[in-house]
Amino acid sequence: MKNAETGAAVEMELEGENTIDEVIESAATFWNKDMGAYVLRKGKKVLRGGSSLSDSGIRAEDVLELIPDPEGG
Amino acid sequence: MVGAGALGNEVAKDLVLSGFKNLTIVDMDHVVGSNLNRCMFFTEEHARTRAPKADVVAQGVRALSPGAEPSAIVQRIEEMGPAIFRDHDIVMGCLDNIAARLHVNSNSYYAGRIYVDGGMDGFLGKVMVSHPPEGACLQCGMNRTHSKVASLRYSCTGKDVVFHEPRLAAEITTTSVISAVMVREALKVVSGRKDLLLANAFYYDGQRNISEEIEVSRDPNCPVHSQRV
Repeated sequence: MKNAETGAAVEMELEGENTIDEVIESAATFWNKDMGAYVLRKGKKVLRGGSSLSDSGIRAEDVLELIPDPEGG
Repeated sequence: MVGAGALGNEVAKDLVLSGFKNLTIVDMDHVVGSNLNRCMFFTEEHARTRAPKADVVAQGVRALSPGAEPSAIVQRIEEMGPAIFRDHDIVMGCLDNIAARLHVNSNSYYAGRIYVDGGMDGFLGKVMVSHPPEGACLQCGMNRTHSKVASLRYSCTGKDVVFHEPRLAAEITTTSVISAVMVREALKVVSGRKDLLLANAFYYDGQRNISEEIEVSRDPNCPVHSQRV
């Protein structure tokens, strides 16, 4: 897992039934992110929150990136 | 155009200088001092008199382009019915909170109107276009973190807001980039090039000088799509 804002990376042990929502929240907690909206991307694709890792086609060694979703105006 | 803060000022300016004449500006807020360094139409006098942002932007648009016919509505968009969406060809979202975005997203979708949404946080920005009935809408790209902060307002100034976090205030160069991309999308619509509209989300990172398009696919469980008949 990469932190788009800092470039930091961490290995996460996850199960196929873990949802993208759960992964986002775990990563945001690990990096002490401010409360806010975040999305998880794999390559050029935003992953759907309610989907499981297996349904999203995520496999071991895949690199995911946590990016803030800017909501100010 | 919904929202007349930092992004709304820039979008309004770009729209009228691009030749748009009929523009309705909706915003329920008033000008405060901390708005002034990133909002070209706002002055200290507007802040002192707590002038409604929508009115001030409408006045500024008229001064920039005498042929323009802007109208201002000082009201929360969530309190407005669906008619305002049906009565316009394009909806420009310059909002500061997710709840209002969801309201505008679903109403635009049901009215069959193209919704161009912009968002910013410091040096980061995003533009997404919802083009019903095709493709993904704004809500398709959201998850549980969006739900948790949906009712909070993100500051364009860092002050006088409901949501106080150690965030960067809106940054004018990011605002300029995001507003330019938004208005470029609107220009594609009116020049008959809907085929060139953004199909995904445009992300901009001003610190790393990166801009890229990231795919947001349509969510079959998204309530906006599942309720459409």
